[in-house]
Amino acid sequence: MIVTSQKPLDEVLDFLSTYRTVLLAGCDGCTQPPRGIREARTLGQILELASRLRGKRLRVSTTTVAKQCDSYLTLTSLEPQSKYVEAILSLACGLGVQTIADVLPDIPVFPSQNTLFMGAEIREAAVLEERCAACGDCILEFTGGICPIARCPKGLLNGPCGGSANGKCEVDPEKDCAWDLIIKRLEKLGRLYVLEEIRPPRNFWQLPRPGRVGE
Amino acid sequence: MNPASDQPVAAMKIDEEHCSACSVCSSLCPFEAIRKDPETGNILLEIEKCQTCGICYSSCPAHAIEAIYYDLDSLAGYLEKAKQQYDSDALVVMCKGSAPDFAEVEKLFGISSFVPLSVPCVGRIPGEILLRAISSLGMKKIYMLACDTDYCRYEKGSAVAGRRVAVLNLLLEQLGYGHEVIEFRRNSLKVKVDRNKCIGCGNCAFFCPFDAAKLESGAAEFDLDRCRGCGLCVTLCPALALELEHWEGERLSSSISRLSSEIRKPSILVMRCQWAAFPRPDEELDPGVRVIDLPCAARVDPMHIAEALGNGVDGVLIAACPEDDCRSETGSKESHRLLTGLKKTLAQIGLEERVHFCPVAPRYPQTFYQELRQFKQRIEDELSREAGQ
Repeated sequence: MIVTSQKPLDEVLDFLSTYRTVLLAGCDGCTQPPRGIREARTLGQILELASRLRGKRLRVSTTTVAKQCDSYLTLTSLEPQSKYVEAILSLACGLGVQTIADVLPDIPVFPSQNTLFMGAEIREAAVLEERCAACGDCILEFTGGICPIARCPKGLLNGPCGGSANGKCEVDPEKDCAWDLIIKRLEKLGRLYVLEEIRPPRNFWQLPRPGRVGE
Repeated sequence: MNPASDQPVAAMKIDEEHCSACSVCSSLCPFEAIRKDPETGNILLEIEKCQTCGICYSSCPAHAIEAIYYDLDSLAGYLEKAKQQYDSDALVVMCKGSAPDFAEVEKLFGISSFVPLSVPCVGRIPGEILLRAISSLGMKKIYMLACDTDYCRYEKGSAVAGRRVAVLNLLLEQLGYGHEVIEFRRNSLKVKVDRNKCIGCGNCAFFCPFDAAKLESGAAEFDLDRCRGCGLCVTLCPALALELEHWEGERLSSSISRLSSEIRKPSILVMRCQWAAFPRPDEELDPGVRVIDLPCAARVDPMHIAEALGNGVDGVLIAACPEDDCRSETGSKESHRLLTGLKKTLAQIGLEERVHFCPVAPRYPQTFYQELRQFKQRIEDELSREAGQ
């Protein structure tokens, strides 16, 4: 799922400062931590209160969309409500904000979140961790199902580097060395031989930006 | 009880002079807090293990246990006053864990007026007080509402109360008061799911301390036999697809908005786990303080706290059980985690100090009042600091 973090409230209040009515739209799609109707109502209350403290009056109505990155769902759910407000504040990732901008061209839309990465939700450890970089050239078949592109800060195809120590990464000793994990896993599966072949540099032209797939 | 005293006073004590060491209390204590000293033969109460359920108090044949909460005298005093106030000859004794609104109590028992006595666990009510209500206060009928036995927050409380009522009914019938003068019912308040709103995130299934939730065809489904009504799943549901009977989100929102308008400034709203502090049945609070009792700190919803602050409440105090005492396993701990997150957001607008989480246990009755006093002081300081700016 897409991991986001709340923007500093001051930043949000600054770009909303010229509006009196805002629709705060949650997303029930994949955003993590969850940014649905509960988050919308909680943040809505806090923003109203914060504007009052600034001596302004902001009215925040709230709603949620099944998937803000879906043009049809976003248009049909937000269009009727957008008529009663001056701006929309999105709780979704950057895709949601842009979908709103796309389908509702006549109303300004703002992000309430910073979009961080595509993350796996490791419930037991209560963390969201980046594990896929959407590089467009998947090599998980050679790396025991562990991605060094996303999980090694250097994105090494042939690792580990000399900075791997006790299974931890030299860039951030709090984090596991992806290549240490890869080797241990392949060893356990009896498939260490797949690393004998040196992998050539990736073809970065595999998926030129912006990516586009016809549905 | 003197709430102003700083000396810790324990809520339960054994009066050694009157104790006959019969061991009824130690055999009934659900928490192994009472034992017989093998050498001296004395009955010992370990207050740190005690959960203040009062089952020992209500069962001691020698009146050798001293209880600060709901002892015979205070119950009798309350009932006398309440009889006048409610002007009814029906008494409803209900556990806070399973008591719905008074209107629902009326429906449940098919009565139109009654004297309410709401206590944490009906297992703490001595038979004597029920007999006294009938013989000296002229109550014609007593209704007792307990939790289901496997839902009882004090494990044995509901079962003990059920047995006690059966014995008392026999006695009352023999004394000529009629058949089943005390009507005993069990009720439990549990989770409700709106599968249409569910987004299948699995939070309920992952966090339920009692393994009552699972995802079935992509939506939450509950095994209600396992649900213990803590409300953690409700507070964690991002889609507002879950509700807890009697503590529905909208019901809490309207209580918050009503209370916010009636609290005198500087205003404090206390959101309190009902097992963390036991109020007197007729407790009157400072006009600057209002309390919402909840089934567990886990049902303290950051969304509701934001609402209260938005409605102009100056401070919100959350009273939770210490983690080790939590009646819902992880409820208190999760509540603390959620509120820490909310405080971080509030810190950005300078309101961090307006919300305070405090663990308190009823075994030391004064701790809740101390926390409340300190918090009130802190809020007053905050307000005067802000006014000076």
